[in-house]
Amino acid sequence: MSSTRPQVSFEIAGVNALLVRFGDQLDPQLPAYLSALRHYLLQQHPQIIEQVVPAYTSLLVAYDPRQCRMYDLQLLIERALDEVPYSTVANKSAKLVEIPLIYGGEYGPDLDDVAQACRLSTDEIIHLHSETTYQVYAQGFAPGFSYLGQLPEALRIPRRDTPRQTVAAGSVAIAEQQTAVYPNDSPGGWHVIGYSPIQWFNPHAAQMTPVEVGDQVRFIAMDEEQLREWISTHNTESQL
Amino acid sequence: MKQPATGFRVVRKGFFSLLQDPGRFGYEHIGVTNGGPMDAMAANWANRLLDNPASATVLEVTAGGLELEARTNTMISVTGGDLNLTVNGEPQVPWRSFWVTTGDKLRFAHPRLGFRAYIGVQGGFYVPQQLGSSATVKRDHLGGLHSNGEPLQDEDFLPASMLAEEGIARQIPQRFMPDYSGDLTLHLVPGYQQQAFSKAAWQQLVQQTYTLDKRSDRMGARLSGEAIESPQLGMFSEPLSYGAVQVPADGQPIVMLNDRQTLGGYPKVGNILPLDGFSLAQRQPGTKIQFKPIGLMTAQQQMRRYLRFFGL
Repeated sequence: MSSTRPQVSFEIAGVNALLVRFGDQLDPQLPAYLSALRHYLLQQHPQIIEQVVPAYTSLLVAYDPRQCRMYDLQLLIERALDEVPYSTVANKSAKLVEIPLIYGGEYGPDLDDVAQACRLSTDEIIHLHSETTYQVYAQGFAPGFSYLGQLPEALRIPRRDTPRQTVAAGSVAIAEQQTAVYPNDSPGGWHVIGYSPIQWFNPHAAQMTPVEVGDQVRFIAMDEEQLREWISTHNTESQL
Repeated sequence: MKQPATGFRVVRKGFFSLLQDPGRFGYEHIGVTNGGPMDAMAANWANRLLDNPASATVLEVTAGGLELEARTNTMISVTGGDLNLTVNGEPQVPWRSFWVTTGDKLRFAHPRLGFRAYIGVQGGFYVPQQLGSSATVKRDHLGGLHSNGEPLQDEDFLPASMLAEEGIARQIPQRFMPDYSGDLTLHLVPGYQQQAFSKAAWQQLVQQTYTLDKRSDRMGARLSGEAIESPQLGMFSEPLSYGAVQVPADGQPIVMLNDRQTLGGYPKVGNILPLDGFSLAQRQPGTKIQFKPIGLMTAQQQMRRYLRFFGL
């Protein structure tokens, strides 16, 4: 883990946005830093900055071009980079969220295939997947869809050759360096290894998503009975 | 928001009719896209004709087929594409406001010119807001009449207020009416990974003529032409702003629009001028399209003028 911030570069992203790029390597400290930077920028410059979107190694800063020239915005961001220290902010504000799930069987139709591709037993896959603490590197694709990394090396396999037309909501899936839970029924090319009843996006809640970029996630393996009990005590709409 | 009992009955839903306000902003960081009228200029005019605030909800009618029955007396406006609107069988030209009374039948047929019409109503359609917006976004299951992102359905009822007396009918001066016919130039502000594209690829992009592909939708406009070389960057997905021009490995550009996914992993050459994005929304598949580079300052100047004009 490094304690120095990656080199920053700026790119124009249209008439009202600037993309700030933080190198081209995944750094486990970066998500929490980008999240802290996002809050700082929105708080410090509410007249100028309208929206800040973090993802992996970049930060999109949308601004009102009537309030500020691009060059001046760049200076504001550079100052913010100095004021939000890299090493101390990282992981301080991050929370750890536990995600219950059930692996394999009808809940994870690709678990056996994944085991075969990785030359491991299904128990080893489950063990490796659930003992890792993940970072939320980005949110997007669909509301609440959270890209979690990094997957242990032994579990890294390419996406499916043919994407599924429909991957069911709650599907816990893996591909390349990442794992995620599908918030809605949607097409998808990842390998489905389990099911989780967590609701990833609720527009009616004060906190619309259970995690944000920079937070940490751990998967907690459960059997059907445990999961049913979890669902009944957490008052979700999910069903087994 | 107290919902009036008056409004418009949807007799026939048409091809794709969506309630829209300026869009949903500030939630891209959790994956919620903007939505909003594809031709924001025409939507702004629809509200301007009625002295509505720019935030009032309008109806975007894509490709026609919609039939409404007035269950109120009010002023409405029609702007954007000419989709052969008739009121009680009488043909109506767009870009004006007029009085409708209970029982009037509004029927859109097929597009004559342009692709999307906008209907404004005095005070706006009464639609619940989600995350600060009524904009209908199917892929996010947000917005619209039933707060689920679904387009209009037969027998929906669109609440709108009733006016005691007829307002003044207005017509937009000819010089303000956009021309939706002919080829389209998309002004392109270089940005994102533009530097990573080869000089030859860039030259080809701004010199060749593209055709608007029929697989275009509210997420993005797909252009087809001779493939240009896209750099192999192995990049991580990054945030996509409005008008970003992605070039996937197949070398065919995609202009990201209102309902775009918030993140994307393809190299991008920059963003089109939003004003051109509005014109693009009025073009049908098959339209010839060219890119023309424009400087950021000039592009921002044009946007400032537009924003000032509509008091945005």
